[in-house]
Amino acid sequence: MTAIALTAAPDRPASAVPLALGLLLPVAIVNAVGFLAPVAYLFRMSFNEATGGGGLREGLTLASYVAFITDPFYLGLVARSIGFSVFITLLTLIVSYPIALFIHRADTKWQSLLTVITISPLLVSAVVRTYGWMLILGDQGLVNGLLKNAGLIDQPLRLINNSTGVVIGLTEILMPYMVLALMAGFGRLDRSYEEAALSLGARPWTTFRRVVVPLTAPGIALGCLLCFVLAVSSFITPKLLGGGRVFLLATEIYDQAITLLNWPLAATMSIIVLVIFGLALVLYTRIQRALD
Amino acid sequence: MAAPQLHDADVVPVIANGTRSDHLVLERLEKRYGDTTVVAALDLAVKQGEFIALLGPSGCGKTTTLRMTAGLVPTSAGRIVIGGQDVTHLPPYRRDIGLVFQNYALFPHMTVAQNVAFGLEMRKVPKAEATRRATEALALVRLEAYGNRKPRELSGGQQQRVALARALVIRPSLLLLDEPLSNLDAKLREEMRTEIRDIQRRLGITTVFVTHDQVEALSMCDRVAVMEGGKLVQFGTPFEIYERPRHPFIADFVGRTNKLKGTAGEPGVVALGPLTLRAGETPARGSNVLVMIRPHRIQISAKRNGRAETRANVVAGRIVRTTYVGDLFQYDVDIGPSVMQVEKPTTAGPQAFNHGDEVELEWAATDTLVFEDRG
Repeated sequence: MTAIALTAAPDRPASAVPLALGLLLPVAIVNAVGFLAPVAYLFRMSFNEATGGGGLREGLTLASYVAFITDPFYLGLVARSIGFSVFITLLTLIVSYPIALFIHRADTKWQSLLTVITISPLLVSAVVRTYGWMLILGDQGLVNGLLKNAGLIDQPLRLINNSTGVVIGLTEILMPYMVLALMAGFGRLDRSYEEAALSLGARPWTTFRRVVVPLTAPGIALGCLLCFVLAVSSFITPKLLGGGRVFLLATEIYDQAITLLNWPLAATMSIIVLVIFGLALVLYTRIQRALD
Repeated sequence: MAAPQLHDADVVPVIANGTRSDHLVLERLEKRYGDTTVVAALDLAVKQGEFIALLGPSGCGKTTTLRMTAGLVPTSAGRIVIGGQDVTHLPPYRRDIGLVFQNYALFPHMTVAQNVAFGLEMRKVPKAEATRRATEALALVRLEAYGNRKPRELSGGQQQRVALARALVIRPSLLLLDEPLSNLDAKLREEMRTEIRDIQRRLGITTVFVTHDQVEALSMCDRVAVMEGGKLVQFGTPFEIYERPRHPFIADFVGRTNKLKGTAGEPGVVALGPLTLRAGETPARGSNVLVMIRPHRIQISAKRNGRAETRANVVAGRIVRTTYVGDLFQYDVDIGPSVMQVEKPTTAGPQAFNHGDEVELEWAATDTLVFEDRG
């Protein structure tokens, strides 16, 4: 960033460079201590050897990686986590897009209020919201109660302790992030583009498909990246709403580290998650470039 | 201009004005938002191939009228007929219109060629023909070399020409232009005026042009509809609008004018304090009137004593201010009851009068516009 600014303005006074670096220093320190150091520690940990029963031997072995790659359970876990997260991301996109579009088109005076309402769930921790969903979706919960009273079902629907519950809970939890990201990317969307398309003979659905969606694609890409990353790394919601029956990377890392005390394998899986994030980021950058 | 004909088949033969049928008819058109009436009982008939302007200050309802015609805003009452078909309740995509926006509204994610071909694609025109027609339309606005660019790589004037090509390529039965020149700088605006006018003539397409710029309206259009407060105040040729405004608002809005207050006397005479002026038509004797005289219709000369009787108005005064504005000298002349502004083109020679000079002003009776003063 600094280098770019320097080439753009070569006659900038020299004192600006130390100042810019000085301003970057706090965030650099926080990132180094709070992010880079733990990741480095994890990376190092993944090469240690687990000696069963929670024992740990310092070393430089690829044993955990080999164990991970050669075990179909773990590979299936990666595939399931990615597939699950993609599915939840798309579901979140579908339910959030109309909300974001509505807020984007609303009167300026209503926009901030609507935005606050949309992101207000973030004020309540994901744990609390997940417990809320357990109450709503449980066998004696609101949904089953209503359906039973309406005479539509005899036996309660299994809405928690399975992947259905995780999908419902995670989608709701990710919605505010998706709406915010979409709105951030809706800058180019102006009503006159839609009106131009309509005047040229495009029906509303065609206008949406050919004009609105492409113009909002940057927001869609950003929102999907954000929600995918959050979905892959989500732990509490799959753990609680999945009732121990939904196996994903994040829950497995927890089990390995806390229950089985196999820290090297947990670290290895964390590194795998990081690699998945990296790939998602590469894909996102590609899409951004293609859209531009 | 060797630009190719866009679509010969659709060129309407030019028939003498008056024998052409009405192509666009607005009937008692109305738009209300709650208690606010934006457009009130508007009646307007535009002939086949005619180029008309909707002229008025911002908030006069001209843009709302255009948007109702395009189908982008629902009407509150009244009818819209295009080419004999009642389209009042048809959506925009079934009205067969071409629309050009003030901000161009070119799709930023498509190339120039894709933008122009969009309307053809919507009409399921075969790809090869669509490409050919899009190229022709771009040639019409002299941008055939720019098809592969993105709109943002074009200048404002070029973008506006692409928007025009995109609206014309679908051979709409009606072309609607919403302040298309407002975002361009003065020089470009003048070029585009001529260009739009030429293309409209060549294609003979019925066109409605919304503008708040009286010069655009007068110089480009066959007829001008002046709107104020949601009402149509006058609909006539540029000559009629400028020379025979039917309302003081028009005289004031279209062109510069001297505004004086007086009283009507005998028919054809108005009193301005101690002065008596000859005018064209005047309201009933004794009524308060607004007198308007265009600054450039007034002859100014040095004061002479004893001159032949004239049918024109002659008023003596003294120069109180002179202003040089490049193509004009403006003289502010105190004539007693009021100060009048007179304009002389600088081509008529150097500045002839200075502050304090005694002068005589002379203008024709027909240039004295008299309106009943209801304010």
